Amino acid sequence: MTMSGQAPRVVLVTGKGGVGKTVVSASLALHYASIGLRTVLVETAGATNVSALFGRTGSGYALTELRPRLSTLSLTPEAAIEDYVVQQIRFKRLYTMVFKNRVMGPFIDAVPGLHDAVQLGKVFDLSRERRAGGHAWDRVVVDAPATGHGLTMLGSARSMMELTRAGPLHEGVKQVQDVIGDPRHTAVLLVSLAEGLPVNETIELWERLGESRALLRGVALNLCLPSPISAADWRDGSGVLDAVPNGAALRALVERRLHRVEQQAAAAERLHAATGAPVRALSDLRAARDGLNGRPWAEPDLLRLAAQLEPSGLGL
Amino acid sequence: MSAPHTRVLVCCGSGGVGKTSLSAALAIKLARSGLRVAVLTIDPARRLADGLGVGALGNDAREVPLRALFGDDGGGRLDALMLDARSTFDNLVRRFAPDARAAQRVLDNRYYQFASTRLGGSHEYMAMERLLELVQSDAYDVVVLDTPPTRHALDFLRAPERMSGLMDQGVLKWLVMPAGVGGWRALEFGSEAVSSVLKALLGEGTVGEIAEFFDAFRGLGDGMRQRSLAVRALLRAPTTRFFLVSSPAAAARAEALFFLAVLREERMPFGGFLINRVAAAPPAFSRADWAGRSPAEALALDAVDALCAEQADLAAAHAKAVAALRAEGPAGAACWLVPEQSGELHELSALIALGAALPDAASVWGADGPGA
Repeated sequence: MTMSGQAPRVVLVTGKGGVGKTVVSASLALHYASIGLRTVLVETAGATNVSALFGRTGSGYALTELRPRLSTLSLTPEAAIEDYVVQQIRFKRLYTMVFKNRVMGPFIDAVPGLHDAVQLGKVFDLSRERRAGGHAWDRVVVDAPATGHGLTMLGSARSMMELTRAGPLHEGVKQVQDVIGDPRHTAVLLVSLAEGLPVNETIELWERLGESRALLRGVALNLCLPSPISAADWRDGSGVLDAVPNGAALRALVERRLHRVEQQAAAAERLHAATGAPVRALSDLRAARDGLNGRPWAEPDLLRLAAQLEPSGLGL
Repeated sequence: MSAPHTRVLVCCGSGGVGKTSLSAALAIKLARSGLRVAVLTIDPARRLADGLGVGALGNDAREVPLRALFGDDGGGRLDALMLDARSTFDNLVRRFAPDARAAQRVLDNRYYQFASTRLGGSHEYMAMERLLELVQSDAYDVVVLDTPPTRHALDFLRAPERMSGLMDQGVLKWLVMPAGVGGWRALEFGSEAVSSVLKALLGEGTVGEIAEFFDAFRGLGDGMRQRSLAVRALLRAPTTRFFLVSSPAAAARAEALFFLAVLREERMPFGGFLINRVAAAPPAFSRADWAGRSPAEALALDAVDALCAEQADLAAAHAKAVAALRAEGPAGAACWLVPEQSGELHELSALIALGAALPDAASVWGADGPGA
């Protein structure tokens, strides 16, 4: 068996909002495609940021091919419910009658956890889809919702199982849980930033993962900045700035960066100590992130991040 | 209404733009200007406690010790709360149940226990309820609300409609009455099909439990529906303002504009943009002015030069981004630029520094504002 054959087919990328889950997911997915694996990158809860990252217009729930071997789709709970129900009851007309019904709409909306569970179910379906005698997808990379809701989603199959106890939906979510809860099939990658709140939150998320902790393969410490000088060299040479009136402001600029670099190292250590998982520092590619000079994300940026993530070293 | 003058400030935006820190900073600023303020986070990720440095937060108001922290409280008061969806829902059930037995029947139902705690959506429902409680308590001049990232904040804005739809007697009657009961002929054909589909999906036992929950919930229906209508009205009240929090990053701006369109559609009052982490121009520096230095000094000067160039690029790009956002917003929309902070944001000094760039009561409500 090859290394890629042993790695989990499903990779869920989650973390606090705004830490760069989408970019990390896209990097990983592009990396897989570039080494010959058929990959689908899944966005959740109606998010549609991936296509733009690749300079394309997405088509929502339908698959969009971004590159050879790389496709994306955006899950919405509504579409996933429709997909699931039509699959189960076989009649689209019956679905429309029941679920688009004025009376039933609010009820279905209110079935707790259904939204999360059907999205997870679609991820499961993708991971099992067959094509020409093999799996349709070698990798399913999921840009999962932000922390709190990402957790809810990860636990939704188990919750639905408890809620339903028996019946076809129970059987369905049990199958999903068997795959999503198994570290041989599913991996979790956490994304964090080198600041106090995001690090605390990542550790808290890890604690709340409970049984799913076994799925964790690594933590990506995103948006790390390099230092243009070592602390020692700065100490030796920076006195020269005292000669000018704005010397203090110039000093502060560099010293903030030196402090930031220290913070990054401390964050990496804390995350590793708390989760036991490898931590990978990923560069802050500011020009791409803030769209400096109108420059959007490009494939070399994403592949550079993927190289820093070093997926094979994480067993991904 | 028991407290028609309480003002509500809602901070919305995409993940990671700093909503929680800005909400905390805004609440501190308003409290220190002499107002009675509550700040409520509904984010299940528990950030506000970190943001305010007051340890664990819960469903009950916890006073932030302004005097101890700042040396003075400016005559105001600040309470912080984190939504506890379960307790809020329980309280609601107790309040609207006809008697204690009926309340207990709901509280003991397994479906209720799921609906009220573990799963997505209940946070949004209950945040609205908690917000209304705070406003009606008459204990505050201003309630600042920190919301979850945009997509979930949408669920949150639409929660009252979902709840009142759910409480609609039609749904309840339909679920708990056997098909064929008079007055529901129009639905009969549909209801049998619906019922068989639901049973096929969920299993008979589960549908039974859900029906029992709705039956137990029936007595609460009217009160709950009134309640959600009151929340709906509160979100559209002239004393409410929605701030759209963004950063200069393109994705965050797009989310803010998306949310703006939703506010328009829902006729909820837009209060302005708060643009966080805007880079300032670097101090003046020209490497050419520093020729002929020692190797150690040259290294330091090169470092300064590199970072000044980087900062200048960033500041120019951010200025463009801010201009682009303003151009897409409503003409004359208020816009507050919050500079990038260097320290850790859960430090109080950083929250105060943030506050300096944020709106005060007068700029939000004009001369009519609380404390005016």
